[in-house]
Amino acid sequence: MAATGRPDFACSGGRTAARIDRLRRELWTLETASSRASDDSLTVPLGTPAVDGTLGGGLGGGALHEIAAAAEAATAAATGFALMLAARRISPSCPGGSCGDAGTIGMPRPGSNLVWIAEDFSLAENGAPHGPALDSLGIAPERVITVAAARGQDVLWAMEEALRCRGVGAVIGELRPRGIDRVATRRLALAAAAGGTLGLVLRTAPDAAPSAAATRWIIGAAPSSPSSGGEADELHGVGPPRVVAHLVRNRRGHLGAWILEWNSVEQRFELATDSEPVAGTAFDRSHRAAAG
Amino acid sequence: MSSSPLPARGKSEPALVVFGKRGNLDLLLAVDAQAERLGLRAGLALAQARAMHPALAAVPEDAGADARLLTAVADWCQRYTPLVATDPPDGILLDIGGCAHLFGGEERLRADLLARMMRFGFSARAAIAATIGAAWAMARFGDATDAGQASRIFPSRRSRPPAAGDETSNHPASPRSERERLAPLPLAALRLPDETVAALVRLGLKRIGDVVELPRAPLAARFGADLLRQLDRALGREDEPLTPRLPVAPYVAEKRFHEPIAREEDVLATVERLATRLAAALAARGAGARRLELALFRTDGVVKRIAAGTSRPLRDPQAVRALFVERLAALGDEVDPGFGFDLARLCVLNAESCPDEQIGLNGHEERADLDRLVDRLSARLGRRRVARLVAHDSHNPELAAQALPAQAMAQAELGWDTFRRFRAQADLSPRPLRLLARPEPIEDVFALVPDGPPVRFRWRRALHEVVAAEGPERIEGAWWCENGGPARDYFRVEDRAGLRFWLFRAGLYRETATPRWFLHGMYA
Repeated sequence: MAATGRPDFACSGGRTAARIDRLRRELWTLETASSRASDDSLTVPLGTPAVDGTLGGGLGGGALHEIAAAAEAATAAATGFALMLAARRISPSCPGGSCGDAGTIGMPRPGSNLVWIAEDFSLAENGAPHGPALDSLGIAPERVITVAAARGQDVLWAMEEALRCRGVGAVIGELRPRGIDRVATRRLALAAAAGGTLGLVLRTAPDAAPSAAATRWIIGAAPSSPSSGGEADELHGVGPPRVVAHLVRNRRGHLGAWILEWNSVEQRFELATDSEPVAGTAFDRSHRAAAG
Repeated sequence: MSSSPLPARGKSEPALVVFGKRGNLDLLLAVDAQAERLGLRAGLALAQARAMHPALAAVPEDAGADARLLTAVADWCQRYTPLVATDPPDGILLDIGGCAHLFGGEERLRADLLARMMRFGFSARAAIAATIGAAWAMARFGDATDAGQASRIFPSRRSRPPAAGDETSNHPASPRSERERLAPLPLAALRLPDETVAALVRLGLKRIGDVVELPRAPLAARFGADLLRQLDRALGREDEPLTPRLPVAPYVAEKRFHEPIAREEDVLATVERLATRLAAALAARGAGARRLELALFRTDGVVKRIAAGTSRPLRDPQAVRALFVERLAALGDEVDPGFGFDLARLCVLNAESCPDEQIGLNGHEERADLDRLVDRLSARLGRRRVARLVAHDSHNPELAAQALPAQAMAQAELGWDTFRRFRAQADLSPRPLRLLARPEPIEDVFALVPDGPPVRFRWRRALHEVVAAEGPERIEGAWWCENGGPARDYFRVEDRAGLRFWLFRAGLYRETATPRWFLHGMYA
C-alpha cells in the first residue's frame, strides 16, 4: 500500500507540477467565488449617489472597513456612522426596524444580527450602546449582541469568530489606536470575506498604519441643521444626526469628503447641502502629513 | 481525629505538635508519632508539654487551612461516589451505596481509598457501616477490623490527618450487626456533648452496650432526647440524611486512565468520547445540556473543575468539545496537568428538554449558528461578557435598557416590542447612542434661564458652548422608595463643534439653590 504512494510522489516532476497546477486552479476558483460574492450581492450602498459612485456602488459587504473618529470627542459620531452602515447592511429594506416577522426573535432574516465588541475600558470611557437609540436608528435591539472584552486581543479574536458566523450580518469592533497590526487586519478581512459579513473597525483616533481594510474613514462631528426656526441669538433645536465623513483610503476608487446626514425614516444617508464647505471645518490632518 | 499521629519525620528533628486556644488555655490539638512516644497527648496544655520537653516544635493551628484541606480531600473522594459530605473538623462521609461494585466490593474500595490517602501523606481511618452514626463511631473508636488504618509511612507533610468515615446505605459491611459492633465502643462514639458523656460515665455507663438495653423513658428524662436520637441514628432506627457538598449532576459520564493523560488533545478527545455517551443518555430522555462541568482528577489529588454553559439545550458531542476548546484556551496555564489526570468526568449540571433538531429551515440554521457563536464567545470570555440588550419597564434611563448574559436570554422575551408600543404613545425624546454607566458631573454650568438648558459647561476639562438645545424632558425619580433620587430635567444639546450630548439637572430649580448638572450620554 505504501509502495504505491511513494513512486507517485517521487517519480516525475511533471505529475507533481500538474497537481500543483490543479490545486492553484481550485484555489483561484475558491478565492474568486468568495470575492464575487462580496462584490455583488452583499454590497452595502449608502443611499447617496455621490458617495456610492466613489465607492463603486457601495461598501463591500464581505469586507473590512476602518472608521476612525477625528478626535476622541467625535467617538459618538464615528459610532453613529458605523451603526448607520450596519443598519444599511442588516436591515436595508426595513424602515423603522420593526417590520413583520423579521423583527420577532424566532425567525431573524439571513445574516441580520449585529455583534458589537468593545473593551471594558472603552465602554466605561465612551459609554455603552443604548438600546432605545439603536432602535430609532433602525437596528432592532433584539438582533444585537454586545461583547465586553477584557483585552484588545480578545476583541480581535471575538471579531474574527463573529465575522465567520453565518447568522451575523455586521460586526463592529472598537479598538484602541495602536491595537491592531497589518496581520490582524488581514485575518479580519479574510474572515469577513469568508462569512460575507460587514466588518467595521471603530477607532477613537485616526491611525496611519497600513491595514488590509477595503476602506478607511475619518469621521468628525458636524453641526446639525437647525430643525426649528428661531431668532438668531436664541438656542434652536437639534436636527438629525450629521457627520463629516472623510474617505481617506479606498481600494476600489477615489477618495472624497462629504457631510452626511442620516435620514432615519428612509434609513439612508443624504448629502447635507445647506451647510458650510467641508474644508471649513476644524479638522486634524496630521496623520495625512505623516503618511504623505 | 485529633489523637491521630502527625506525619512521622526524621528521628533527629524535635517532636511536632499543633496547638490552639480552647477557652483560656493553649492546648495541644495534634501530636506526631515522636511526640506520642514522648508521652504527649492531644488535650494537654501547651505550657505543660513545653515544661516536659523544652525542645518541642509547636505550630499554631490554622482552622481555615484545615477546612480547605478537608474540602479538597472531599472533592477528591468524588472519584468514588458523587455523594460526598464533609464532617468538620476532620471527617468525610461517603455514600457508596450502588458504587462499591465498581471498585470490586466495599472492602476493596476502602483499601483503595486508604492506600491512596497514605500515598498522599495522610494518616486516615475508614469504616464502612449501614448508618452515618455507626461509620463515624467505628472510624474513630473501632478496632483494626472495623476501621482500616493507614498511618505508618509518610512524606513530610504538615497537615492534620482527617479520618474518613465511610457509609453505605443498605449493606452492612460485616456479618455482625451494627448493634454488636457498636456495643464495645465508648459512649463518646455516639457524637454526644462532653457533659452528657461525663454524666453517663459518673453513673458507670461507659460503653454503648451499657445504654442500649436501658429503658428509654428514664434515659430521655435524665439526659435529654439527644442521647436517644444519636443512639437511634447509629443503630439505624432513625434516618439521617447525608447532605452532599456538591449538587449531584443528573447525567454523568467518566473515564479512568491507567496511564495518566496530560496533553490538551487527549483531554479534548476524552471530552468528546464522554459527550458521546452523555448524548445517548440525554437523547433517551429528550433532554439537552444547558450547563456542563468537566472534572479532571490529577494524580496528586488535585481536582480541576471546568464549567461551560450553552444558550440552548445541547447534545452534539462535537459542539461540547468545541465549548471546552474555548474554555481550555481561556484558562491557559490554570489547567496545570502536573503529572497527568487519571480520571475525567463530564457532568451535565443543568439539563432542559430539547426537541429533536429541525433541519433545513434556513432561519433556524442561522439561529443555531448564532447560538453557537454566543456559546463560544461566552466560554472563552466569560458568560457575563456576552450580552443581549433587554428593555425594562422603567422610566430611569439607566434601568430602561440593560445588557444581560446572552446565554440566559437566548429564549427569553427581550421586551422591545413593549418598548416600541410605549414609545409610540409616550413620544419620548431621542435617546443617546452611547449611554454612560454612571452620569458624569459637569462643571461651570451657566444657564440663561433658571429652568432652561445650559449655555456653556465643562466636561472632562473641555469647555463646550451650546448652540442648540431641546428639552427639558422631566424624568421623575423613584419617589416611592427612599433613595430614588431627585427628579431629572434632561436636555439634548449641541455644541459649536457639532458634538451632541444628553445632559440633566438633578433636582428642580426651586428646590435646590445650586443645582447639580450631569452628562449622561452622547448622540451621533
